[in-house]
Amino acid sequence: MARLVESTITFPYRRSLGPVVGAFMTALTEMRILGTRSGDAVLVPPMEWDPRTGAELGNDLVEVGPSGTVESWTWVPNPSAQHPLAQPFAFAFIRLDGATTPLLHAVDAGSPNAMSVGARVAPRWRGERVGAITDIVCFVLGESAEIEGTDAGPASEPVTRMDYEASITYRNPVPVSADRVIEASQEHRLLGQKCPVCERVYAGGRGYCPIDAVELGEGHEVDLSDVGTITNFSIVTPVQYPGQTETEPFVRAFVLLDGSDVILSYQPVIELPATDVRVGQRVVAVWASPAEDSDEGGAMGGTYGRLIGWMPNGEPDIDDPDLVNRIF
Amino acid sequence: MTTSTDIAIVGWAHTPLVRHTDQSETQMLLHAITDAITPLGLTRADIDFTCLGSCDYITGQAFSFVSNLDAIGAWPPKRDSHVEMDGAWALYEAWLRLQEGDIEIAVVTGSGRSSTGDPALIYPMEMDPYFLAPLGADPLTFAALQARAVIDAGIATERSMAETAVRARGKGDVDELLGEEYLRTPLRRHDVPPITDGAAAMVIATGDRARQLVERPAYITGMDHRTECHNPSFRALDDSPSVRIAADALGLRNTPVEIAELQTAFTHEELLLRHVLDLGDDVAVNPSGGPLRANPIMASGLCRIGYAADHIFGGGTRALAHSTSGPCLQQNLLCLVEGRS
Ligand SMILES: [Zn+2]
Repeated sequence: MARLVESTITFPYRRSLGPVVGAFMTALTEMRILGTRSGDAVLVPPMEWDPRTGAELGNDLVEVGPSGTVESWTWVPNPSAQHPLAQPFAFAFIRLDGATTPLLHAVDAGSPNAMSVGARVAPRWRGERVGAITDIVCFVLGESAEIEGTDAGPASEPVTRMDYEASITYRNPVPVSADRVIEASQEHRLLGQKCPVCERVYAGGRGYCPIDAVELGEGHEVDLSDVGTITNFSIVTPVQYPGQTETEPFVRAFVLLDGSDVILSYQPVIELPATDVRVGQRVVAVWASPAEDSDEGGAMGGTYGRLIGWMPNGEPDIDDPDLVNRIF
Repeated sequence: MTTSTDIAIVGWAHTPLVRHTDQSETQMLLHAITDAITPLGLTRADIDFTCLGSCDYITGQAFSFVSNLDAIGAWPPKRDSHVEMDGAWALYEAWLRLQEGDIEIAVVTGSGRSSTGDPALIYPMEMDPYFLAPLGADPLTFAALQARAVIDAGIATERSMAETAVRARGKGDVDELLGEEYLRTPLRRHDVPPITDGAAAMVIATGDRARQLVERPAYITGMDHRTECHNPSFRALDDSPSVRIAADALGLRNTPVEIAELQTAFTHEELLLRHVLDLGDDVAVNPSGGPLRANPIMASGLCRIGYAADHIFGGGTRALAHSTSGPCLQQNLLCLVEGRS
């Protein structure tokens, strides 16, 4: 079995809510639940458009609940990290008093034996409410609404946005040929693979030729030069999105390796101010010492192991106007 | 939608459908495509158009479909497209594309490695972002709520669901299964699909080319897909209006099929669709075992169409295939394939 690499990705979303959902979320901070009229029906949760016909609704909001009746339910014996409650609970379709459609939410019922269709439930409100569906912690059996913690009161301004963040852990197998590239990097060797059909050489351990769709393995390995020429580059001014660690402008360069057609793309340039990087510049690979090894195996997500970037090797520039076109 | 241009399935292949593979999605596709085209005497250079179906959220990598292009041999540059949907919808796009008449052969794929992450955590991200995703509303919960509606409507019972599971998997004892604990009432483990890694590739061709390639092409005589509201709160969960409309559009009422391959990942879904499509006892439903036996996410629907085509290749006259997406059978695609003497 191949080595598995685990990575956790967070998906932070900030959403604008619009007039209907925004009003619903604002009302939640006031411990009120709103539906919207569609003909004789009252839709909860409220929608801007009729779910059946797509017709625009009149934004005619009406208060419902906060108590309601369980229309259907299922017991969740092993809650996930994303679920509203850590202990076993019921997910239920709850028809709030005055509503025509059911709202999905959790019911903290203690045991599936306490749940039944027709059971009456009321919300357990969060003390600190931000204008999200999770301002209702869950519903509880009975007619009496509750507050969890100290009531911090309603939002001071209408709620217009909401944040949502999911965090997912992925476990991906690392191809054997990718591991061999990382292994070779410990001896400061840059490993490639040569396709037996088209004779193209690929850096890194991708394990197949994308032109001929044939698999490449150990028998196709070739050593690549660790000296090359910058063909093109970009100076990146970092935008401060979540997860961004760079603060100053930095260079990403394309390096054409000597004696081959192989281009390493998006390479860091080391020990050279961004403004001094030039097309045609001769560079040599910089390898990390074993002490600098990270879990990812090196720079750029570990594709080339201990290769952390490139620095000038002192040779004169190559003057070839065609170089800038070489980025793949 | 039906078509006057003959377009037919001429071959397909899938990788081993397993609980976990060490292969990347690209590697799986490499093999599936090679296995689909080689028996037809085709090479990648013969393919005029490709459309790949996959999902970045499942792979855990933005633009993951770009590396999947490595599997199609995209040099010199090819006409290519991608759908963030099951491969069945990739087939729909390729089927439309071939109707333009200027090209002859297309390859479509579906691929996914569901062993990579936890589906219970990934799928809520695809739900309503305001009211459902923040609750971590997972597919198992929605399936359970639909199962309850289907049972309440008298369309299924826990026993008929267990019988469906035994038939699909070709193993198990109904009474024993009914003694098991609930995973999510009223669903037990046997009502739920396995987690499966896999990829499938399918070759379709226009009439004359199809007849050159194989003796008995599986003609696509109709394909239609419809969708319902994204939030199950607003839907009748004991019915499937979108399947009904698609079936009417294909004239299914007057065209008897011998088999139906349905992308029903949960036992009650098979019973519901059998009811909605009004399939008689003479129609074999999911002879392949269906998604209850192997459920390669993003390829499961395309596999259904592949097994329907196999029925035609083997001498059958007409078969129905179905694919679905979204919570509680939100979106449904029907595909009718026929053989000719
Ligand atoms: Zn090659």
